[in-house]
Amino acid sequence: MRQVTIEAAHKIMQSNPKSYFLVGDLGYHAVEAIEQEFPNRFINVGIAEQDMIGIAAGLALNGNKVFVYSIIPFLTMRPFEQIRNDLCYQNLDVVLIGAGGGFAYGVLGPTHFALEDIAIMRSLPNITIFSPADETEAVLQMNLAKHIKGPIYIRTGGRTAPKIFDKRYDLKLGKGKIMCEGEDVWIIATGPILGEAIEAAKEFAKKKIKIGVVNMHTLKPFDKKLVASISGKSKLIVTLEEHFIAGGLGSLVAEVMAEDHGTARLIRMGVDDRFMKEVATTDKYARKILGLDAMGIIQKIKENL
Amino acid sequence: MKDKLENIAKEVRRGLITALNPGISHHIGCSLGIVELLTYLYFEELHVDPNCPKDSERDMFILSKGHAGIALFTTLAHRGFFDRKLLEGYDQDGGFLPEHATTVVPGVELSTGSLGHGLPVAAGLAVDFMATKSKRRAIVLMSDGELDEGSNWEAIMFGGHRKLANLVAIVDKNGFQGYGVTTDIINLGSIADKVRMFGWDAYEIDGHDFTQMKLAFTQIKQSKSGKPSMIIAKTVKGKGIAGLEGKFESHYHSIDQTTKNAILTEMK
Repeated sequence: MRQVTIEAAHKIMQSNPKSYFLVGDLGYHAVEAIEQEFPNRFINVGIAEQDMIGIAAGLALNGNKVFVYSIIPFLTMRPFEQIRNDLCYQNLDVVLIGAGGGFAYGVLGPTHFALEDIAIMRSLPNITIFSPADETEAVLQMNLAKHIKGPIYIRTGGRTAPKIFDKRYDLKLGKGKIMCEGEDVWIIATGPILGEAIEAAKEFAKKKIKIGVVNMHTLKPFDKKLVASISGKSKLIVTLEEHFIAGGLGSLVAEVMAEDHGTARLIRMGVDDRFMKEVATTDKYARKILGLDAMGIIQKIKENL
Repeated sequence: MKDKLENIAKEVRRGLITALNPGISHHIGCSLGIVELLTYLYFEELHVDPNCPKDSERDMFILSKGHAGIALFTTLAHRGFFDRKLLEGYDQDGGFLPEHATTVVPGVELSTGSLGHGLPVAAGLAVDFMATKSKRRAIVLMSDGELDEGSNWEAIMFGGHRKLANLVAIVDKNGFQGYGVTTDIINLGSIADKVRMFGWDAYEIDGHDFTQMKLAFTQIKQSKSGKPSMIIAKTVKGKGIAGLEGKFESHYHSIDQTTKNAILTEMK
């Protein structure tokens, strides 16, 4: 998924001479095409993320659109205050392309997982947060990013991603996409883990139980209206994310439900309050052991129906 | 030049004291200490136009030690960027000017307040000026204590490596930081030697002497080294006010109305 996102940035750079692409010494076998075509607008700042965000701010301050690529913890957590002060406070045109949402980095383990990024990034004013479910969505969101003024964070998965959309669709900023309609039970998911929610809904459909699935591809601005409308007409909402339960999609949904007095109950599925010690070579396996795969979702819904 | 700038600095310093909200405003010493540096920059060195603060050919100055915002605001007001009357709203409920530098104020390029942010941003500006073959310069003023921040050394390595000759960092070396004397907390030894090792040119001057400032900038402009420059300006915290000069406490302590009146009378 990161590759198509980087390629989309490359395309924007081809049509916008006032643009730069920055990396913090990462992106091997992913960013070389940009470096070759734009040697003066591609900058490897070295392993120096605070400097990287500061430099991005300086470039944007002078009217450039700046793309910054790194692995999510190094992109968002190491230089968080630079993102807050230098990008968001100044409201600058910088697109943060994060690789490795959730457990996408597999065997690399907890230092490379991104399970806190939504919580911290959503606390910032001015920023737009995208969480694409697959490559098609990542490209659609980068196309939107081309025209958005102000900082953007796009949380992509890893090298592989499930294919959910066969073709492009009319993705709207801040509007969740209903993948399938439901009745009493709805799953709201974000990112590639959406595939597990769809699989679970299909299993229920075989037994004539209609489970709704919402793809929350934009986390800021957040589609409060859609959540409120579902919570007003259903009995159970399950949120699903590759993120700690605290502060992510589940919290966003809970906030809306608490204020809107809907009829539904809420179950938040994500990573509980612990660092993962288990070795997982794929995100698929990590989801399985944490009960976040289709089987885990089905079981959770059955327990609560 | 010297006499003219000395008179302006006197006015700026008086304007700064006048703006202080008795019992509320802090960071007085660190603001007073950079009055000459800012006066020199805005009245002699920087290519800026108060009538067109966003002029596309301007030099860009960043006050990285954003806590000295009032020194910058007063200088900008005296240079004509905005009405001096607005200084009356400094540190006041509902006022126009907060304690830290903010881009709400015409002429302020970057909102600052957390240390170690200005130099990386200035490096980004310098890269863009260079890439577009512009003659513009990125100039940043930081404090000596601020050099504790690792982000500065990331930017120093970057600036040296990329030969950002259009980047000038001025260090306000007043010898104090948040909790005491800089050499007692993290002793950097010779800052000039350190940055030279990182590929920079370094100049050591008296931060209250306009002739030395002029000389340093002239040398920078004439230099063919292709390196970024650091000017280490030795300053006196609280400069110009007898009761505050060289005093660590002038970082935190505000002054009461009586003291403020006495200082202003003395300055007349």
